[in-house]
Amino acid sequence: MRWLPRRTVRLRLTLLYGALFLLAGAALLGITYVLAAGQLETKQVTISGTVPTHTLATVGAAGALQMHFSSTGPDAVPTSGTASGAGPAPSPQELQAAARVLLGGVPSKGDPTFILTQLAKDGHAIVAEQLDTQRSNELRSLLTVSGIALAIMALVSVGLGWLMAGRVLAPLGTMAARAQRISERNLHERLALEGPDDELRELADTFDGLLDRLEHAFEAQRRFVANASHELRTPLTLERAMVEVALADPAADVASLRKICERVIATGEEQERLIEALLTLARSQRGIAERESFDLADLTRRVLASRRADIRRRRLHLDLRLEPAPTSGEPRLAERLIANLVDNAIRHNHRAGLVQVATRTAAGAATISVANSGPIVPPEEVARLLEPFERLTGARRATADGSGLGLSIAAAIARAHGGALVVEAQPEGGLAVRADFPAPQRTPRPLAG
Amino acid sequence: MRVLIVEDHEELAATLALGLRREGMAVDVAHDGAGALSRTALHDYDVVVLDRDLPGMRGDDVCRALVERGTRTCVLMLTAAGAIEDRVEGLTLGADDYMPKPFAFAELVARVRALVRRAQPGLPPVLAAGDLRLDCAQRIARRGGHRLELSPKELAVLELLLTAEGAVVSPEELLERVWDEAADPFSNVVKVTVSRLRRKLGDPPLIETVPHAGYRI
Repeated sequence: MRWLPRRTVRLRLTLLYGALFLLAGAALLGITYVLAAGQLETKQVTISGTVPTHTLATVGAAGALQMHFSSTGPDAVPTSGTASGAGPAPSPQELQAAARVLLGGVPSKGDPTFILTQLAKDGHAIVAEQLDTQRSNELRSLLTVSGIALAIMALVSVGLGWLMAGRVLAPLGTMAARAQRISERNLHERLALEGPDDELRELADTFDGLLDRLEHAFEAQRRFVANASHELRTPLTLERAMVEVALADPAADVASLRKICERVIATGEEQERLIEALLTLARSQRGIAERESFDLADLTRRVLASRRADIRRRRLHLDLRLEPAPTSGEPRLAERLIANLVDNAIRHNHRAGLVQVATRTAAGAATISVANSGPIVPPEEVARLLEPFERLTGARRATADGSGLGLSIAAAIARAHGGALVVEAQPEGGLAVRADFPAPQRTPRPLAG
Repeated sequence: MRVLIVEDHEELAATLALGLRREGMAVDVAHDGAGALSRTALHDYDVVVLDRDLPGMRGDDVCRALVERGTRTCVLMLTAAGAIEDRVEGLTLGADDYMPKPFAFAELVARVRALVRRAQPGLPPVLAAGDLRLDCAQRIARRGGHRLELSPKELAVLELLLTAEGAVVSPEELLERVWDEAADPFSNVVKVTVSRLRRKLGDPPLIETVPHAGYRI
């Protein structure tokens, strides 16, 4: 089927348009034909014939008679008549009788040509005017002329249809060409279709919206990869540089080399923590396979117990309000979430600042909230904090500040549990973070009996 | 040879600086883009080793600003993103060289030296005056076939004097190019180093003192 042209929408629209036009034209032609034929049917038929004298007393010997009929056939009724005889004009009764003579004995058939032929054969009458021929001639010529006109107009309409379809579909072509140019490399480009606010424009705007969302997702992904590779490669570079520089030192002794080794190990531990955090992030983004029941208050107590010393060392005031908050999910991940929130609250705090930790059940949801005093966080920065490797003040460095993954991991864990992490900047400084967990899902017990 | 290291990871910056100083370079350190720009405005660096992934002002912006300033400073970009398109992009920004992390320290040294050599075309890798030979890459000086035991600073002073090809080099220029910003400009560190170098070079004396102007070979 190679030889067929590609069935584009333009071609199909044109063909459809042409076909519809042709159909409508043909119908119009048919109606015109039928109406015209009817019109011709009611035309007068004139028959001339020689009538035997005995039927027409008034006509005299072998007079010629001309009669007009409203139609042909055996039932034809003469409407008027003239006789060329010597006598007076025939009365209607006489005309009727003459007609019967002229048309009588003829098989009852509607074809006037046949009747006339029969009459002529009998020698009673001759065809004076072959109206049928004229009629069919007229109808044929009408048909021919109309057919030619229809054919021409059909061609014109196909041409116009092609142009019109092209014009209507032109924005689609523009969109296709622009969309083809867009790849992940230039996702910032848009179709940006101009023109009237119609369906095509709506399609293009919808597509642009999709590109917006894709661009954001790609950008976040790209930033994550760039940040992750920076965070992972920088300590590797450091380790290598430390060892190489130490080895290149001609005055290196055991003590200095030992010091370098210890620093390399410390850097390695930092990397381990980072990799562990990345794996936790990946695991929590995957969702939760099996749910266990646990209480957020218990987990919070356990997390805080291991951070008592840290809190005391920084002279932080801990405000603890733990109410039962039962939920279900993966307790190890939930504990990670709580630990991340508490660690952030401890780390990004003033000396002798305040850490508020509370758990409760409200509106069917188990909630843990952690708030801390600390430097003022601009509200517009808050959304950024949830992104991997983003830290405040533009610092992006894996030092004592942590991996920069804490809040991203917490958000991913909350999402995996079907909950949400809400981060708010406190006007007096510091953050207030709340994680909502859905109420525990009871495993349906089979009914006994 | 004066080098500025711009790297936000403080320990890495310190380690690189230590290594490059051992190679006889005068090294300053900046931890962010603003610090890098203020230091490059103050001192005439031969090479800026620039981390591309700086917090705040990105390394790209620092590089662009340096190129726009039109200094003769070469930029060696360090980055964690080592894909080809990243390297191409970095070089397009005006960086003279590009090194993906992690790298071998020896390669960093070699590339810094190569950049300096490229900035001074026609300079042979082995500088010579009389029977004195200085292999800049291997950091080895020989006089009459005998190897001289020179410290990194002495080697750097010797290199600068040989590079000047007979022109006078002022003590201020020596201080600017061989010592980093930690050196006290009012100390006699240049004088002391030059006299120690003279002693090690032996006879006949090569370094000539031009009164009120400086030194020349």
